[in-house]
Amino acid sequence: MSADEGVPEFPARVCVDCGTLYGHEPSVCRECGAETFETERLPGSARLYASTTIRVPGSDHQGQEPFVVGLVDVGNAVRVTARIEGIDAGDPDARPAPDSPLEYVGKRDGTFYFRPA
Amino acid sequence: MRDVSIVGTGTTEFGVLDGGVKDLGSRAVARALRDAGVERPDVGALYVGNFVAGILEGQGAVGPIVADEVGLSGAPAMTTEGACASSGIALRQAQRAVASGEYDVVVAAGVESMTDAETPEFTRALGSAADRLTEGVTGLTFPGFYGIYLDRYMHEYGATREEVAAVSVKNRANGAKNPRARFREPVTTEEVVESRLVADPLRLYDCCPAADGASAVVLAASDLAGEFTDDPVEVLGTGHATGHNAAHRYADLTTLDATVDAAESAYAEAGIGPSDVDVVELHDCFTPAEIGDSEDLGFFEKGEGARAVAEGRTEVGGEVPINPSGGLLSKGHPVGATGIGQVYEVCRQLRGDHENQVEDAEVGLAHNLGGSGAVCTVTVLGRGDRR
Repeated sequence: MSADEGVPEFPARVCVDCGTLYGHEPSVCRECGAETFETERLPGSARLYASTTIRVPGSDHQGQEPFVVGLVDVGNAVRVTARIEGIDAGDPDARPAPDSPLEYVGKRDGTFYFRPA
Repeated sequence: MRDVSIVGTGTTEFGVLDGGVKDLGSRAVARALRDAGVERPDVGALYVGNFVAGILEGQGAVGPIVADEVGLSGAPAMTTEGACASSGIALRQAQRAVASGEYDVVVAAGVESMTDAETPEFTRALGSAADRLTEGVTGLTFPGFYGIYLDRYMHEYGATREEVAAVSVKNRANGAKNPRARFREPVTTEEVVESRLVADPLRLYDCCPAADGASAVVLAASDLAGEFTDDPVEVLGTGHATGHNAAHRYADLTTLDATVDAAESAYAEAGIGPSDVDVVELHDCFTPAEIGDSEDLGFFEKGEGARAVAEGRTEVGGEVPINPSGGLLSKGHPVGATGIGQVYEVCRQLRGDHENQVEDAEVGLAHNLGGSGAVCTVTVLGRGDRR
């Protein structure tokens, strides 16, 4: 049984010209300058690089606080900025430590979501 | 390239001030011109750093608006914008413009007016310096960027919350003596680590306050400096580098490449290294920023910055005095004005008349950072008689 069973795959983007992988949608390929990308699905298992709990948001996100934002490494392939859910964001001790395992949840309103694995 | 000197300085206090960017910027420029004794027709150009006037105040074209207000119509004027490094860039461009021979005398200034806005409004405005499409959408703020930074820094290097809080304790103690600072009350370690959480593990007293303010300097070719002042400050070297436009772009978030690269350029142009620097004003927008900056500028090994500040090595009488002005944590951070505000403080140190004077300071460094480490300027200054 795969460790990733039931975990959605992460939709990375790959440059059709040179094969460079991206987590977030690139404007152009940083390596070769190409402008065309395809989706490459990666296993949704991930690892937290580091995170924070936003308690004083900007006006665009008021009312959502507290919420956790982290840098997440998907496989060893791409790093993305994402929301971390499935924890009590108000509890300072509940925020997962750096290097904790996470899994991909999905993308909503342009933002990637992960949760503790 | 010609040598360039600062021949006049002017600033407002940093704090809650009346007036918008036109008022504040014009006052700082007028004060710098008066200090230098420069006639307005002799000013070749004006560079004004500003970041959020367009968002918060609805004021664009800040450079030309200020130029005309102070009687500099006719001279080319422009706004430089690189988030919180906007006026570090203004100084760098002004130095280049004089060094190249294009102008003999140029004014560089920075200005911001922020305190009329509510916290969510200016948090949003400052957040515009992060890549909107990848990071802005997640709700990450600038305190949040440094919350993530500190989370990883403590994990990698074993620094403690108390060591990191020492930055705020030191800078607030320095700021207590600086009449230009917004915050003039010292804080204790306990007050820092027990202040309310803003962006875990960052707390309120880890964060610099918003402020209104403006600062300006007059630069001239060094061989003409004697016409304006007996006490010039030489611009020994400057650096300006681009880092990354979002936190996820760093393989190692605890090293901000733009600082490393800008410092390397500035040290090379000045012909010095970190050990030659007597006094430092660096970009302590949040306590972990000062720790990382002190390493990225070459004063301490990576991972040692937190212990160094906790041990008192960066106090006014320490081996590397950092932010004797009180830094952004005390002065406040009128974002577009901060870079030249730092240069103003270093000039006072090199002229020997700072409230927290570093004894025999001959070489000073100012470090100004913008965005997610997306842009950095480093300026190395020297006392005019050091050679």
